[in-house]
Formats: sequence, C-alpha cells, structure tokens
Amino acid sequence: MEIDVKNLHPLEVRLLRHVALGEPITAGRIVDELGYKVGQCNQAFSWLSAKGYLVEKSRESRVLYELTEFGREQAEKGTPTQRIFAFIKAEGPHALPEIASALSLDKSEVGSAFGQLSKAHCVRMNDENKAQSIADELSGEFLLTANLLQKGLKGDLDESALDADEKKAMGRIAKKRGAASSPFKVIEREEIVYELTEEGAQAKEAVLKANITGEELGSLTPEMLASGSWKEGTFRPYGLNAPTSRLIPGRHNPYGNYLQWVKDKLCSLGFEEFDGSLVENEFWNGDALFMPQFHSARDIHDVYYIKDPVHCKEIEEPWLSQVAKTHEDGWKTGSRGWRYKFDHEFTRRQVLRSQGTVLSARQLPKAKIPGKYFGVARCFRYDQVDATHGADFYQTEGIVLGNDVNLKTLLGLLKMFAEEIAGAEEVKYVPGYFPFTEPSIEVHIKHPVLGWFELGGSGIFRPEVTKALGIDVPVLAWGLGIDRMALMHLGLNDLRELFTPNIESVRTRRGN
Amino acid sequence: MPKIETTGRLFYNLLGKTIDDEQLEEVFPVAKAELDGHEDDLLKIELNDTNRPDLWSAAGIARQLKAYWGKEAPLYDFFSTAEETFDSEGRELIIDASAKEVRPYSIGFAAKGHKVSEDELEALIQSQEKLCSNFGRKRKTIAIGIYRSNLITYPVHYRGADPDTTKFIPLGMDRELTLREICSEHPKGKEYGPIVSDSKVFPYLHDDKGETLSFPPVINSAHIGAVEVGDENLFLELSGTDLHDLLLTASILACDMSDLGYEILPVKVSFPEETEFGREITVPYYFQEPISCTLSQVHKTLGEPMSGDDAVAALKRMGIYAIYDEDTIWATVPEWRNDFLHPVDLVEDIMIGYGLGNFQPEMPQDFTVGRLSPAEELGRKVKDLMVGLGFQEMMYNYLGSKREYVDNMRFPAEKCIFISNPMSENYEVVRPSVIPSLLESESVSAHAPFPHKIFEVGKIAFLDEKENSGTTTRNSLGFLASDSVMGYNEVSSIVNTLFYFLGKEYQLSALEGDGRFIPGRCARIMLGEQDVGVFGEIHPAVLENWGSQTPTIACEVDLDLLMN
Repeated sequence: MEIDVKNLHPLEVRLLRHVALGEPITAGRIVDELGYKVGQCNQAFSWLSAKGYLVEKSRESRVLYELTEFGREQAEKGTPTQRIFAFIKAEGPHALPEIASALSLDKSEVGSAFGQLSKAHCVRMNDENKAQSIADELSGEFLLTANLLQKGLKGDLDESALDADEKKAMGRIAKKRGAASSPFKVIEREEIVYELTEEGAQAKEAVLKANITGEELGSLTPEMLASGSWKEGTFRPYGLNAPTSRLIPGRHNPYGNYLQWVKDKLCSLGFEEFDGSLVENEFWNGDALFMPQFHSARDIHDVYYIKDPVHCKEIEEPWLSQVAKTHEDGWKTGSRGWRYKFDHEFTRRQVLRSQGTVLSARQLPKAKIPGKYFGVARCFRYDQVDATHGADFYQTEGIVLGNDVNLKTLLGLLKMFAEEIAGAEEVKYVPGYFPFTEPSIEVHIKHPVLGWFELGGSGIFRPEVTKALGIDVPVLAWGLGIDRMALMHLGLNDLRELFTPNIESVRTRRGN
Repeated sequence: MPKIETTGRLFYNLLGKTIDDEQLEEVFPVAKAELDGHEDDLLKIELNDTNRPDLWSAAGIARQLKAYWGKEAPLYDFFSTAEETFDSEGRELIIDASAKEVRPYSIGFAAKGHKVSEDELEALIQSQEKLCSNFGRKRKTIAIGIYRSNLITYPVHYRGADPDTTKFIPLGMDRELTLREICSEHPKGKEYGPIVSDSKVFPYLHDDKGETLSFPPVINSAHIGAVEVGDENLFLELSGTDLHDLLLTASILACDMSDLGYEILPVKVSFPEETEFGREITVPYYFQEPISCTLSQVHKTLGEPMSGDDAVAALKRMGIYAIYDEDTIWATVPEWRNDFLHPVDLVEDIMIGYGLGNFQPEMPQDFTVGRLSPAEELGRKVKDLMVGLGFQEMMYNYLGSKREYVDNMRFPAEKCIFISNPMSENYEVVRPSVIPSLLESESVSAHAPFPHKIFEVGKIAFLDEKENSGTTTRNSLGFLASDSVMGYNEVSSIVNTLFYFLGKEYQLSALEGDGRFIPGRCARIMLGEQDVGVFGEIHPAVLENWGSQTPTIACEVDLDLLMN
C-alpha cells in the first residue's frame, strides 16, 4: 500500500509515532500520554480509522470521578475534618460554636465533622464541653479523602486506577446526580479501545522514515512573521489533493458571452451595431419590407398585437407614402406592385417585433453608403413554447450597402460568416425565398459537430424595399440562425435553457 | 410554407423517370423545394416559395424539373388570349349581378378524356386545398370546386342567393339544408361560412336546370359535387375576389390536369359588367404581360459577366421562353406563373437557371468601420462591474404573465404593455422591469446555495404617452441579492460602488408608494433632477408572492439615462 505521509495530520503523526502494534489505544491513554484534548483525540481516531490504520478492538465502560466546585474548594482549603482537627491541635480545646465561627463553617458541618472524628477516635469532648484532640494525627480514612481530592484537582479519576480503600472512600463522597454538595461527580463513559493495524504499523514506519514528528509548522501566521519564529521550524507539507471548498464567483452568462463574441466578430468584419424598440408597427414590421398586408405571415396567429395603444400616432413621411404607393402599383421602383388598396390604419397597428429585419429596414433611411450594419434583436413569435420555439428569442441580422455589391459579394459574405462565425468546413448555397429579397439565398454549412444545417437566409433587398426608403444602391440583407450554434456551444439541446431563471443551472453552466 | 405529399408512382410518372432521393435533393433547389420525407411510396415535399403556387403539386414540380433537364415543355394549346378565343362549345358560366356584393367573380373550365385514378384524385384535392388555403387565404380570395361535368346542364349560373330559402343536400350530409343552416351546422360551414355570412345574399352555383353545384366557398352539393375515382368528365369552378389570382389558379390546375392526360375544354364566362379582360372571358385564359430586364441589370445584380444568350438559355432551363435583343432580355411569362413583379424577379430565374454553383464568391471591397452600439458599450462596462462585485449574469425572456409582472410585484398594470392576442396567459405582458425576472429566479432557486447575487442587463418596455408608439423600450440593469442577512446597507453599498466606477455622482431621495419595497428602506437614485433608478429591500409581501423565504434586496437602473 502506498502511504503518503503528507496526507497525515500532525495529530495523526504524533499518535502513530507513540503507539505500537498490539497495544490497546484509548482516548484516556492518549489524553494522558500525549496531552491531547478529548476532541483532538477523537478526531485522530476517526481519521486513522478511515485510513485503515486503527481498528476498533473492543468497547469498555469506564467510570470517572470528576471534582465538583464544592470538591475543588475542599481540595484547596482542606476538608472540614482536616481543618477542625488541625485547629484544635494548634489552638487547644474549643467549644464547637467557637470552632465554627473561627473557621467560618456551618455549625451543622462542624457537628457532623466532629462526629466523624470522634467516631474514629481522633477527638473527644472534654469535661468543659470543649473538643480536644486525642490522636497525634488524623487517621488514614480522612487522609484518603484528602488525597483523592488532591488527585481530583489534576484531572478526572478513573475508577480502575483506584485501590479498594480509595474506591470505598469514593463511594462515600461521590454522587451520580445532585452532586453539587458532594466533592466528586460520577461520570460513566464508554471508551473504545483501538489497536494499530498492519497498515497502521507501515504508516508508522513511513512516518519515522520520513522523519516527520507532527511538530512541524502549520499555517503561517502574522505572529510567526513578526517574531521570526518560522525560522525555528519546518513547514508541514500539506496534502495536495485535500478536498476543495465550493466558491461561487461573479460570472458572465455563457449565452451572453457567446452573443458578445458574435458581436465582436461582426465588428471585426466592419459591421456597425444597430438596435431598436421592442414595440413595432405593421409599417416597419412588414409593409416597409414589401410584405403585402394580406401576407399569411402577418396573420393574427403569427404576430403579437399590442392591446393598447392599438395604433402608433404616425408613420414617418415620406416613407409611408412611398411604401404605400409601392405596394399599390410599384411607385417609382420599377415594380408593378401588389395591386391592392394599401390600408393606412392597419399600417399603424402596433406589434411586438417579429423579425430582426425590421431593424434593417429602419436603418436604411439613415444608412451610410458604403455601409455595413448588424443587430442582435429580440423577436417575438406567436408560437407554442417548446424545445425549439421560444416566445421570444434573438435573431442576428444585418445589411451591406454599396454600389458594387451583388450576388457574388453576397456569397462571399456568407462564406466569411460560415468560416469565421460558424467554423464551417464546407459551404453550400441554395436558392431561397423571402418576401423582401430577390434573389434570395440560403446558406447551408457543414459544421464539424452538427453536420449539415441551414446557417442562415439572405438576399439582395428588393428595389421595392430599398427605393421606397430612399436607397438607390443594392443592399445585401442577411440573417444568421446562431441559436443552434449557441446551444451546441453551451452543451444544451433545449432553447428554453438559454433563458432559464434557474440560478444553480446558470451558475454551473460552463460554456466553451 | 406549403407542404405536399405525392405517391412516387404519380411523381416519377410525371417526371418521366425514376430517380433516387439523393438526386432529388440535388435538383430540388431549382424549385425551392426540400424533400421532407420518403416513406414507402409516399414523398413529402416542402415548397419554400409562397409566390409560386404552380409548384405546389407533383405535376408543377415535375414540370419545373423537366425544363431544367432540358426537356421540351408540353404545348398547352388550350389558352384563350385577348387576341384569340377558343370555342367553348356551349359550355358557359353566367355570373349574375347579384353576386357582386358578396363574392364578385367565378370562372371555370372543363376536362375530359381521362379516368381519374385514386392518387390523381388525391393529388387534385390536395392542389385544391393548398391553392385555396395558402394562395387563396383560406378560401377568402380563392375557392375551388370540382364537379362531375356530365351531370351538368350548361350554362351554369353563379349568383347571390337568399340564404334562407335556397337549399340543397351538401356533401357529407343526407338532408337538405338552407345556405344559412349549412353555415351553422355543417363542419365546412362553420369553418368557411364566416367569409360570406355577413352578406345579405350568399354565393350560389347551379346549372341551367336548377341543380345545385355548390355553395361557394363553403361546400359542394352531394350529387353533382361528389367526384369519385373513375370519373372522366370534370368541371372546375373557381370563385373569389381577385380576377388575376383566379385566372392564374385556373391556369395552374388546367396545366396540371393536362399533364395528367386530360383534354382541357374551355368555358365561356360571362360577367354582368366589363372586367379588366372584357365582359366575356374564355377560361383557361392567358392574361400575363411579358417581362423584361436589361443585361446590364443582370450583370449588376449577379456580378457575373454572362452573355445575353447565356441568360436566355438559363431562362429556358426555368421553363421560360425568352429572347435577347439590344441589351434586353424579353421573356414570355409561362401560363402557370404570375410572380414577376419586378425585373429582379426575372434576374433570380436567370440565376437559378444559370446554376448557383457557377457563381464564385467574392469579398465585398468597400472599407467600413465596425462599431458596437453605445448601449452595448455601456452594458459591457456595467456587466463587468457587476461580475466584479460577485454577481452572476442572468438572461431572461421578455414576455411573462400578469401574475408575475403585476400581481406578484404589486406593480401598477397601467404602466404595462399587454398583448391583445396572447397564446397563453403565461406570455401576455412585456416585462416592465428586470426585477420580477430576478425574483422568478428566487422562486425556482431555493435549493441553490446562498447568497444569491444575480443581475441582468437587458431590455424592458412600458407605456409612455410621449412616444410615437405610446411605449418606450429601455436598456436596464437589474440586480438582486438574497441571504439570511441582507438589507438596505448592502444594496446601498453596491449602488455606491457601481456609480463610483461609472463616474456618476448621485443623490438619493425617498421613494414612496412603491409596493415592491419596504417603506422607508428604499430610495430613488437621482442624477441631478433625473430619476435614474430605484433600490431597496424587497417587501416581504412580494417575497411571499414569489414563495421566497430569504431577505432580498434589489435595484434597477435605467442605463439609457446614464449614456451622456
């Protein structure tokens, strides 16, 4: 068996060094011989037993006698019998009341002590009714009591250590209960007897060989540094694999960290962040994106409506007129439009933002050319909440404006996202469909862990979108579905976990 | 997005060959289609383009793929045009003026010469459903009926009828019901009746002898309207509100049925007044205008210096006939499509036909400066400070219940943004504060070792009359700490440290009448005259509402107000 002496506490070391194979080891013995406190002793036993170095051999009942306060006083001043005998020996015969007042004792105490002394033929009452001594010294019986008291001062007395006379004497002066007026209290204690095991003996050998005494220095204290006492000793090596305690640090949320990382990536690729209000109106949420007002994705079962105020006060001009006209007949965008009567009340109806592209649309009128923008936008969908649908969730979206952007630069951009953000090994493009882009492209990637999946949707904004919002250059629009990668990144498989309120779950979540 | 099912037998037959799923998946992007599943002989296909209803059938997909493979398109020679009208041989559909106020248009055509098989009938019914529900907005703008033509005595009449006296036996029932009874008693009536039930008259289709065809857009009659496997002569009728969409849908169905082997027979439709295409339209009718785009527009959008001939060849692969002349590509829109709103729509077809794989990705050349938003910059600074103060960052949903955000918090509902069509009461309010989110954590985390120190930097929104939307969205910091000993002094110290490092000098003023906190142990954080936040000891009544038994402090700061 490999014995690592560094795993032994000084209490264990000293105990091991002290005992030998075959010897009974008891708390009483260790307390006596090594000066341990009972608690320390029990700790050492427990540790050593757990390591298999000590084994329990038997349990013994022990009777101990503990000096009471009353007994302590008698031990220090002497017992009444001692004091009375010594007094009349020195001062000559005295009446009992005189003795009582001279020694500050109770009359009854003096009476009972005198009775004992006279019974033992040490004193007698003379003709003047005064107590006088008739022996040279106190008889053994009284000395025995005094001796026991003196021993009791040093510590509890073990019944097994008393001789027959002492036991007899103790029987008279010790009580189990109500011992306040007795000199000794009887304590019954069960004591376990241990023995060193073979392994324990080997551990002892190892300790001796390593020359560890258990007297090595423990924690370094300011006092040791101030006094320089550390120079006198050696430091006890600590067990390196001792159990550690749990710390609860302040921490960023791992999902938040991931989103920050994505944002930083996009910034590094030259994109500027945009943001917006959670409450939108149908104009920006759909009309400005050239989704006809009767489009199925604008149904009551897809978008959350605001109860009050139902409508916003106004839609910004000239965008409202231009967009409305574009829907109706194409306005000046080159389109034939959707051929229906644009509803100016519906367009002011308020909804919770249902797609991040809203922010792209809102950015268009104020965008710089060339310009690149992105947003990580919280969106809301009328969906049953489950492992793959949240009531609200993040979408990552953006646009690129420039005179020279086109399908090929869109593909290049998607490739860059796929490689830089998703760590894709292979990229595949397929034609897609979005109401606000033409052409539309979906990008599928082969991820080292997730395999093939759709990373995002993209396209070139329709002229009906851009021209109506005052932009005359092509605009690439893209959205990335990064939730799946975030889940993978965090080792989760349920979208609801991303926004869990469970503190312990978030505290212990590692992320990558 | 529409999803269709088709038997492999029907689909491969239409394709003219059997190909395996891998090959299908490879070519499907041409139709913006995805193979969703293939079990036994049943193929499940998802179509992504909501503007291409012609693709929502096995025949339509097969037509697109065959064109891409270079097969000559079949000749659909049954379309009348503005210039040329086919003889309808007595088949006529007469629209009465009374229909105008309820559902103005009805058109139709007939087909013969093919016994409909079980999977063809299923395919037809599926097309009918997909077109009516996805393209026809759940029958609101398009409803299709299929009838047994040989039982019909032409002309067929479409009119507005009295809902209480007009009666017939509808499909699925064995007794006569009035139109109004159908709306309340028949399952289809309950579903689609509301489209017309506000009108004085209801749409009604019957033949010249008075035999009922149907009550559009609700239900067919149990006799003429009960098409069965083996029927050889069919009449299709489409009613609705938009003539373009109806004509296109009729064209799609006619082409599909022609592909299945039917001979398409024209029907003359007479309207009570002039329409965009005349008073009489013989259906199927080709109404689409040609579309064109310049070659330079193709170059600019696609970034590829292809020739005019390349573009024309690409369009041919999409089933579109085009010619190139003087920098312009002139295309004839196929009978079954009407999705060319803008020249860019033609450009996309050129892209798909040319093959997306033939475009090499290029990096955008323009130099731009990346930048985080000011809110994000400040948010990060605040988050770092809170983490340094030993707090765990949390992230929460922004939708919740009234119970959580209002009742539990003793917070005024008048400040909150409610949803008018919540899916469940668990998600009916936008959170007006981060604090209830943090307390929700407390309510589910009693087992987590204390102290709890959590925060979020996120958005909140509440009503604000001054804004155009009547609401405002704010970037907000909320933090919470709970432990057996936790009180005002702790939270005040944290606020003090936070504001010191944010470089903001604040004063505190008494916060009164805020039920969330213990009175006298909460404060407003003031930057000059501006109230930027609150903090204090959470009221035990609030803790009780959340089921928490641990003393808790909380603070919320409006970060937007710190940003200047």
